[in-house]
Amino acid sequence: MSGLKKNLALLSRVELRMISPSVNWINSLPAPEGLLESFQLRGRQSLQLAGLPASSDEDWRFSDLERIKLLFKLPLASRASKFSGFSEQQLPPSSSSDTVRFVVRPGMDSQSLPKGFSYISSNELNRFLGNAIDHSAANDDWSVALNNACAGRVLALRVNGTDLPSLEMVLDNAAGELAATRIVLVLEPKTHLDLQHIVLGNSDSSHSHLLEIYLGKEASLNHGWLALGGGDATCVADLVIQQDLRSEYALTSVQAGWTLSRLHQHVVQLNGFAKTILRGLQCTKAHEEITTNSTVRFDGPEGCLEQLNKAVAIDSSHSIFMGNIDVPRVAQRTNASQLSRNLLLSNKARVDTKPQLTIVADDVKCSHGATVTQLQEEELFYMQSRGIGSIDATQLLLKGYCQDIIKYLQFNDDRSNIIDQLIGRL
Amino acid sequence: MINSSSETILEISDLHASVEDQSILKGVNLRINAGEIHAVMGRNGSGKSTLSKVLAGHPSYKVNKGKVVFLGKDLLSLEPEERSRIGVFLGFQYPVEIPGVSNLEFLRVATNSRRKQLGEEELDTFAFEDLVRSRIKLVQMDPAFLERSVNEGFSGGEKKRNEILQMALLEPVLSILDETDSGLDIDALRIVAAGVNELAKPENAILLITHYQRLLSEITPDFVHVMSSGKIVRTGGCELALELERLGYEWLEEELSSTKQS
Amino acid sequence: MTSQNVVEDLVSQPYKYGFVTDIEAEKITKGITEDVVRLISSKKNEPEFLLDFRLKAYKQWLKMKEPNWAELGYSKLDYQDIIYYSAPKSNQKKQSLDEVDPKLLETFDKLGIPLSEQKRLSNVAVDAVFDSVSIATTYKEQLAEQGVVFCSISEAVNEYPDLVQKYLGTVVPLNDNFFAALNSAVFSDGSFVYIPKGVECPMDLSSYFRINSGDVGQFERTLIIAEDHSSVSYLEGCTAPMFDTNTLHAAVVELVALDEASIKYSTVQNWYSGDENGVGGIYNFVTKRGQCRGHRSKISWSQVETGSSITWKYPSCVLQGKDSVGEFYSVALTNNMQKADTGTKMIHIGPGTRSTIVSKGISAGNSSNSYRGLVQMGPKAVAARNYSQCDSMLIGDKAAANTYPYIRSQNAISSIEHEASTCRISEDQLFYLQSRGIGFEEAVSMMVSGFCRDVFNQLPMEFAAEADKLLALKLEGSVG
Repeated sequence: MSGLKKNLALLSRVELRMISPSVNWINSLPAPEGLLESFQLRGRQSLQLAGLPASSDEDWRFSDLERIKLLFKLPLASRASKFSGFSEQQLPPSSSSDTVRFVVRPGMDSQSLPKGFSYISSNELNRFLGNAIDHSAANDDWSVALNNACAGRVLALRVNGTDLPSLEMVLDNAAGELAATRIVLVLEPKTHLDLQHIVLGNSDSSHSHLLEIYLGKEASLNHGWLALGGGDATCVADLVIQQDLRSEYALTSVQAGWTLSRLHQHVVQLNGFAKTILRGLQCTKAHEEITTNSTVRFDGPEGCLEQLNKAVAIDSSHSIFMGNIDVPRVAQRTNASQLSRNLLLSNKARVDTKPQLTIVADDVKCSHGATVTQLQEEELFYMQSRGIGSIDATQLLLKGYCQDIIKYLQFNDDRSNIIDQLIGRL
Repeated sequence: MINSSSETILEISDLHASVEDQSILKGVNLRINAGEIHAVMGRNGSGKSTLSKVLAGHPSYKVNKGKVVFLGKDLLSLEPEERSRIGVFLGFQYPVEIPGVSNLEFLRVATNSRRKQLGEEELDTFAFEDLVRSRIKLVQMDPAFLERSVNEGFSGGEKKRNEILQMALLEPVLSILDETDSGLDIDALRIVAAGVNELAKPENAILLITHYQRLLSEITPDFVHVMSSGKIVRTGGCELALELERLGYEWLEEELSSTKQS
Repeated sequence: MTSQNVVEDLVSQPYKYGFVTDIEAEKITKGITEDVVRLISSKKNEPEFLLDFRLKAYKQWLKMKEPNWAELGYSKLDYQDIIYYSAPKSNQKKQSLDEVDPKLLETFDKLGIPLSEQKRLSNVAVDAVFDSVSIATTYKEQLAEQGVVFCSISEAVNEYPDLVQKYLGTVVPLNDNFFAALNSAVFSDGSFVYIPKGVECPMDLSSYFRINSGDVGQFERTLIIAEDHSSVSYLEGCTAPMFDTNTLHAAVVELVALDEASIKYSTVQNWYSGDENGVGGIYNFVTKRGQCRGHRSKISWSQVETGSSITWKYPSCVLQGKDSVGEFYSVALTNNMQKADTGTKMIHIGPGTRSTIVSKGISAGNSSNSYRGLVQMGPKAVAARNYSQCDSMLIGDKAAANTYPYIRSQNAISSIEHEASTCRISEDQLFYLQSRGIGFEEAVSMMVSGFCRDVFNQLPMEFAAEADKLLALKLEGSVG
């Protein structure tokens, strides 16, 4: 958890220089400037000191550390970059008018916002920028340091109201470059919002994303995270969520197609009485490696967590789930359940799962479960006995398995081809 | 027999009680004699379940004022287990599941603690099994439930039967049955009611706590009390229950408020 | 008093095995050097191969770093301040019990383990270990009739050197971890069991470990070998006097099960756990591992861990043989400042291997109780299966329960299931039992023992009763 600190303590500087291929890359970054200047300085310093994550770092112990180097192979995308990954054909704007779309790129201009949405002024932003990170364990995260080091701009939105259009953010990629985005989203009390993030990595590109989301009292956010990669694409993202009293945060994340993808969710329920729902699906094939790492901390009483993470691994791929639940003494009457379900469909594939529960409060209900299995033979047999061929039967079963998570993504019918694509891949 | 038919078993005077600083009972008075069946009715939140918990000594409920005398003893000064041992039985509305603790073992320890109090010989596992197998017929419960953990995975009806089985084993002087009818289908209700009727004796008494009249058509009470806002506001015979069923609680409340005004 | 407080009081119970036996002991000087390792070996008249083994381990140990466990903050030990060999002076392994110092017999009497012919436990053979050495083994002759060898490991080294050489260090390599390396260098005594082909051991075998001196580390070594088609049930118990310093106990246990052999290893661990402020107590850093080498072999660990200041142990099974079976049943109760980090590793290598894990942790006071386990399915573990269940019970709001179940699968045709839950003794459950006339203490103890039932069912009869008593003792107290 304390990746940077641990690395700093354990390694002498001499060793560091030797293991850190990132120095040249860091030097190639544009000079620190603007609103994020202090973050850029800090991030670069951390990266230089810490080097790459080590296998002794609990957060990375299952990962193939060599792949991280892929991130450093690519130059940072800029205003001048050619963003080619996203095309309107591939992802047509929603036909309904009640969706606001942002295509997030380094050079993006402000667009006019509908009622209920506003940009957060740079003065005010200081209240939010980095605050949620400081209040969670994310501060020690290597991927947070990476984003700090290279993100040049921040998209900061405030949302207020209930009958709002849903918000869609496409995090675009530039071929042969690393796209770094930083987003701050503030939901005022009692606000309800549907939010979709779409991360595309169609070509040899890298992604580093860092989102801080603040949910005011009784606010609710229905959050979709669809990350579809391709080729040699890599993606590391941190979602840092701070929930106030009686707020509700529901995340549905789907990751597929990345050589390296890592989604780290940090949720802190500040004053208790809040609800968090985390649903995840990760599908890996070929040599892909996908990780979901979640940390949920209850800093007040009567919090609730429902978590279900599903994985399908085929070929020589590797699927990793780490789920931390932290219930300190103040968090009486917490009710948390976590389930990790994994389908391992090939002998060369690997699944690692590690729930981690730390519980001090005594009046709590916490349960967790994990299974690693293959498709149920009886189910397959049942379908086959009704004349369905084994390949079709497998597809049907897999579709059902994935649909359990995917159905929570808020897509209109005209987008459903994305989901078919996803399952078709397997 | 300890009690003659006219002996007072329970006397509640001016009982006030609260839970989490919220005052629920606001001056309850009730006397129950041997051989009597009483029913306390009322809407949800009227305080009837609180009354049963207070009588059994649940630690979350605080008595602020008043007295409860059971067979000449100050009931409120006793621990829950002491109350049980001297013959107060509470049939729970929601019997608690206790994983890992064998139902049979639980029943035996409970029965022996009551027998010890009565100066009777404690039963070893074999003698107890004979006893339990004879009593279990009363509630038509599958003996397989004895081998399971206390109430764990029991259906609503099975839990209630298990409660009446405990009543049959403990042979209490006063049985308080809290919403015993809730969640039961008509067959289960008949079985439970038959068990209760079987156990009603001239020397003991029963206090039924219920929302609906339907249990009372199976077990006929001698007295019906209506509770509202933490007090008993009306007492009558079993015809009062029928009237309530027909006209609803509003009828009574309207009538009461009009009496107050006049 | 709130019910919570009462429960907390209930679990605070004085340690009743805290007495010291006043007996003259032969101790070597403090500290560890190559000479000390040689001295231990020569005192025990050991053959060359064992001295080599010890020296190799010592050299490895020097190169190793003491592990740094995040969850187990403890004051580091000074390894030069420990005595590595201590034996009651009068002790030269006696031919008959009559020659054993009566003070020692008395000590074991007091611990409830009578050794003398008249009083000894029926149907359980006992090897009694006092500080560094085994002082007596009962029923040896009767066992020998069936070809079963049950003796101290020192005796085995001299009498069955081939067996010892063949198996020692093959399950837990001498450089397996820091404490295993230390043990391999300086181990003093322990038990040796050999069950020949086709023999079902006629009685339970039991070792009882007693630490008497405060400054002596205990490094026992146990080796159990079950040949084809044999079976044995082995029990281990431990106590220590109360000292205000921390004493190190770093044991190594190795089990080998060959074709269709079965070993059941049960432990009731009640080392002194320190006072309520965490002063004193045993550091229990133990490496226990079993290897199911043969097909359809089975190794079953069951443990009841109630003592020690810090416990760090993961009795593990390496499931090599086709269709072999590993089991782990554990109850760990921690109170006051105790820390327990325990669990198991089930390494599935062979096809058709199966493992079951049932772990119950109860934490009270300021203690911390962690389950840490690994289930690994290797590429050849076709159709292997695992089922794990780990439940925690918290008493009071200052105790911590942590769960770290690592799962790693590299085999598609295998299945792993893991379930876990955390609960406490709820006020409603207590009230329900009380309202049926069951007293508070009994209600708590019924629920704790109900919580542990799945594990107690696995213990041998004599031990199940002892374990239940031990928990009741820890839970019994001064309820007015």
